[in-house]
Amino acid sequence: MERLPSISVEMFLMNSLWTMVSAILVIFMYGGFILLEAGSTRMKNAGHIAGKTVFAVGLTFLVFWAVGYGFIFGSNGNFFTGMSDFFYAGQQAEGASLSTTVFFVFQSAFAAISVCVALGGFAERAKFSVYVVFTVLFSVLVYPVVAHWIWGGGWLAEHGKQDFAGSTVVHLTGAMAALAATILLKPRIGKYNKDGSANNLAGHNQVYTALAVLILWVGWFGFNAGSTVSVDEGFFGFVALNTNLAAGAGAVAALTISWIVLGKSDIITTLNGALAGLVAITASCAFVDTWAAVVIGFIAGILVFYSARFFEKRKIDDPIFALSVHGTAGVWGTLSTGFFATPELASVGSAGLFYGGGFGQLGVQFMGVVTSGAYAFAISFLILVIASKLLNGLRVSEEEEIMGLDMSEHGSYGYPEQFITKNNKVS
Amino acid sequence: MISDFESYESIKLWKESKISSCLSNAFLLNQLHDSVMNKVFEVASVRLNKGNPPCSYSWFVTGSSGRYEQGLISDQDHGIIFEIASPKNEEYFLELGKEISDGLDVVGYPYCQGNVMSSNPLWCQSFEQWRAQLFVWMEKNSWDTIRNLQIFYDARHLHGTDRYVDELKSFIYTYQKKHPMLLKRFMENVMHIKRSVGPFGQIIVEEHGEHQGSINLKYAVFLPYVNAIRILAIKEGLTETSTLARIDQLSQIKTYSEMLQSVKSNFQKLLDYRLSLTHIQSYKDTHFLNMKNLDSQGKKEIKRILKDGKKLHYYVCRLVEKGCE
Repeated sequence: MERLPSISVEMFLMNSLWTMVSAILVIFMYGGFILLEAGSTRMKNAGHIAGKTVFAVGLTFLVFWAVGYGFIFGSNGNFFTGMSDFFYAGQQAEGASLSTTVFFVFQSAFAAISVCVALGGFAERAKFSVYVVFTVLFSVLVYPVVAHWIWGGGWLAEHGKQDFAGSTVVHLTGAMAALAATILLKPRIGKYNKDGSANNLAGHNQVYTALAVLILWVGWFGFNAGSTVSVDEGFFGFVALNTNLAAGAGAVAALTISWIVLGKSDIITTLNGALAGLVAITASCAFVDTWAAVVIGFIAGILVFYSARFFEKRKIDDPIFALSVHGTAGVWGTLSTGFFATPELASVGSAGLFYGGGFGQLGVQFMGVVTSGAYAFAISFLILVIASKLLNGLRVSEEEEIMGLDMSEHGSYGYPEQFITKNNKVS
Repeated sequence: MISDFESYESIKLWKESKISSCLSNAFLLNQLHDSVMNKVFEVASVRLNKGNPPCSYSWFVTGSSGRYEQGLISDQDHGIIFEIASPKNEEYFLELGKEISDGLDVVGYPYCQGNVMSSNPLWCQSFEQWRAQLFVWMEKNSWDTIRNLQIFYDARHLHGTDRYVDELKSFIYTYQKKHPMLLKRFMENVMHIKRSVGPFGQIIVEEHGEHQGSINLKYAVFLPYVNAIRILAIKEGLTETSTLARIDQLSQIKTYSEMLQSVKSNFQKLLDYRLSLTHIQSYKDTHFLNMKNLDSQGKKEIKRILKDGKKLHYYVCRLVEKGCE
């Protein structure tokens, strides 16, 4: 093993161990996504959602091993990607302060989170084959490019773009793919009435959804605090503190705004608020003071409420609020460092507007959001249009959609007892 | 009176031919409902084919028909009080009640989901049994029995001997005078009001479904007015059942006159709004008022009526609380 002379063996091992623990926490977040998506949708699709998440994650890991990692972090790069380290075989990078294999596992976990977010936009109506094709192409063409630009030494990194743990790289990228999918797939049957009014296709289990938020919240300590990939000075504790504060503020803000506007404190909005706080603080958790983390989370909680209403009015059917939670909050989180980054904490880029940094960093953040978002949307859209041609449409037939994807795509129900009696009556 | 109808279907046709001319006027509409229901009663008696009733009785309607506040379509709510308790009489009136319920359903008054119908032994009893039952309801004091008492208080005699309903109501009045806590239980039974005005003064509308952007008049305003006024009516022992008539009577009492000043016109407007919501083509009743269809003047008015309803609600709350001290 080659190490920096300045790093002790103890440090090297501790960094590796902490990052490995964090990788496991991030991988545990897929459990959160399973519960979130299944709980927010109807029983007839629950088995499909759970199974396809595990499958998509597995597929993403393979793609990441083959090309994703090399595209993001490889050398000899072009504008879009790096060009080495394909089919990564476990070699240690020279001078790294932690085991490169651990770093690899940690990074592959992130790639799969982005896929989970993206696939959320497909919920309850896409063919299973579309999931397969999209997971592969998104993991090759979309995620690695944005990650390379910001984390792999690409052009946005050179501008000092701040995105500590991936508000843009992971969440916005996934959300833009989800947006392309929801637009192309069109609303689920029964979502909108003829006069344009929207129905609430309520999810089948709020307890699942709430448990999902809690699992994601816990996993987020790996996501954000783990992104230090180091135990140096215990800085990960500060990152975890900011993460916790923003999640709390997001939940409180969302509940408050729903109570004020709707006259009732809305559970789903509250849950979305906690997630929005987490997504927003993801970019800024290492660059801002604690009070700013509260403000960032609070604003995210308000934004997510109005964002969900906005998309619904625009006839964009987003069953699990991926666009609002990961997209809108992702944009806000990325921009937030442009306001709140402090000179002491800005290890990347420079201080924000409120700390005498002027509009410089805010401009970089804005440019990063626009270019990354536009790229992710455009390529995802293109992938889906081509997939639609090849697979003869993206969406299952009306009959299959009504029957539920559990049965139509996989041949078995997530909740068999719930449906089998009904079938007996028919036959 | 000899019925000129032989079947429920013919009553239904007659009702449908008449109803469009009554849609502009809540009073006329309820008059029509009354005569339709009377005709159903007559046909039911004939259909039962068991001769004349074995003793005197009162067939009463309650709920919105009891209050003379029916819209185009509403559930049936009714009961029977008969004079002499005997198994034979019980059997006769229960069978009659069943026949009436079926008839009303055919004519276009769907069965009552809460089973407030003469076919239900709970709502079809002799006078003495009724008295005993009301007493048990008041003593038991549970959510269900208090709800039943409120329903009974809206009972309006429609067919037979008219004094039974009023006599039973005065029984409630006397009991309540001695037990002010009962009135508090009545109030607790109707405490829920659908929140309709937010802290920024915005009107809270339906978020989803075909009534997106509408306010649910029934739960947001109509019931708060009806419930608050009914409690005052019970307190004062009024026998009137329509909310408007109750307001008139209550306004004569000095303590209420100031509070009730705008209440009558508000309620009249609510009735008008409700009629205006009737879809004549689909014969569908709706309580949903779409805010988009109102100009700023109309919105202001609705908001005022909503707020006044809340005020009235809390006024009665306090009054009842005071009575218990």
